[in-house]
Amino acid sequence: MTAATIGQARGRPTRPRRSPWSLVGIGAFLAITWWAASREFGIGFDLVSVFTNLTRGASILAEFFPPNWAYLPRTFEPMLETFQMAVVASALGCGLALPVSFLASRVSTPNFPVLFANRTALNVVRALPDLLYALIFVAAVGIGPLPGILALIFFNIGVTAKLMSETVDGVDPGPIEAANAAGGNRTQVVRWAILPQVLPNYVAYSLYVFELNIRASAVLGIVGAGGIGNNINTARKFFQYDNLSVILIEIFVFVFVIELVSIWLRRRLV
Amino acid sequence: MIRFLNASVVYPGGVQGLKNLTLDIPDGQMMVIVGLSGAGKSTLIRAINGLVPLTSGDVLINDVSLRGASQKQLREIRSRIGMIFQTFNLVKRTTVLNNVLMGRLHDAGTGRSLVGWYRPADVEIAMQSLERVGIVEKAYVRASNLSGGQQQRVGIARALAQQPTILLADEPVASLDPPTSHVVMRDLQRINRDLGITTIINLHFLDLAKVYGERIIGLRAGELVYDGTGARADETVFRDIYGRSLTADDVMGQEAPAAIPG
Repeated sequence: MTAATIGQARGRPTRPRRSPWSLVGIGAFLAITWWAASREFGIGFDLVSVFTNLTRGASILAEFFPPNWAYLPRTFEPMLETFQMAVVASALGCGLALPVSFLASRVSTPNFPVLFANRTALNVVRALPDLLYALIFVAAVGIGPLPGILALIFFNIGVTAKLMSETVDGVDPGPIEAANAAGGNRTQVVRWAILPQVLPNYVAYSLYVFELNIRASAVLGIVGAGGIGNNINTARKFFQYDNLSVILIEIFVFVFVIELVSIWLRRRLV
Repeated sequence: MIRFLNASVVYPGGVQGLKNLTLDIPDGQMMVIVGLSGAGKSTLIRAINGLVPLTSGDVLINDVSLRGASQKQLREIRSRIGMIFQTFNLVKRTTVLNNVLMGRLHDAGTGRSLVGWYRPADVEIAMQSLERVGIVEKAYVRASNLSGGQQQRVGIARALAQQPTILLADEPVASLDPPTSHVVMRDLQRINRDLGITTIINLHFLDLAKVYGERIIGLRAGELVYDGTGARADETVFRDIYGRSLTADDVMGQEAPAAIPG
């Protein structure tokens, strides 16, 4: 049977015409991408210069090798600090994000002004990147791990509460109705009808955020917010590229191990 | 005593859930509501515990008006009204006992229930409720590991844990197979007779309604079109409630395995 006769068979609907707006959307997307990359209006992105300049850094890259392994023991302490910053920030950030996420979901917070205020606050918190938070807190409380931890906490609240409130939006409403019918108050409904449904997601998000924190706290030290980033900054400033390569390899191994552990944990808990 | 006084529910969008319903349900009665889907059965049930607010008229539970009740008073009224659901509405990821303890929330206090430190007396009530529906051995099993019939019994136990004076059942057997349906209906009948709990059940199988309904009311487009005993409700009556001739889909079609003699 040809395509034409399929459409014409008795009682079958004809295929609805595709909305012209989808074509407009695709066109707009292509136009904006071209605009952003073009030499005339945008940043002038072209692959040719990538290749012509590729060898220019070869002499610098060569200095990365061989890595100066004698430097390794001196990175252990800042690396431990990075790990500890990530642990503390994840615990506090994800812990604070849990109640906030319930206040930012229409399922657990039907009161619109409260919901709106919380969602707006979360959007504001999420608007700043972690490095900017670190700059602000370094200015406020001085250098060291404290501003780094504070920056990560804000970053974590933004990420976790966003993901969690969207998860709460999607829970099965049946148990909520049951808990309401049993005379439970709002807090009890959240605790016993909603939380058990979203707990596996919460654990998964928290582990993910912990991974993000390990990576982020490696960078935060560049602005003086503690951790291994301080060493990266020093090595970069004094052109000690053989030290830098040791740090990079170390971070790579460390993040890889953390990821393996968190995958294993997630599989066991979720 | 539950009294509907000229009660109406109009949903946002203009759909009429209930229309000028006036009805008395005396204490201890086992009443079955029949009607087509969309006739207002679920609305009537949910008007009794205030899950659906009235748009006019009133519902009195033991002379207390639902219309004027504050949120706190409403929770107080709901705590004395158990409810079971077509889809059981259990938290599937947690244990049977935790689900049943949901019936004790009203008495547990916010702080205590937040951390899950229920009083031994509350746990005892929950265990007794599970014993009454015969699945206490499943107390520490995840709810998702139970069969449909067992899950509905957990739902009943959760309602019983409230120590209610009224039990509402919204299509309690619609998701179950016929033999299991009769088991659950007999559980409800026994609870009604042994504990004297006023029991109001939505059903769409007419033969089940006749067997278990001490009293049957019929709804059509939100209006009361029949009110009488199960014995008196014959095919003509049901045709009248449904506004069409009856089909094989309207009956469950399996003989009740010896309902408890009245």
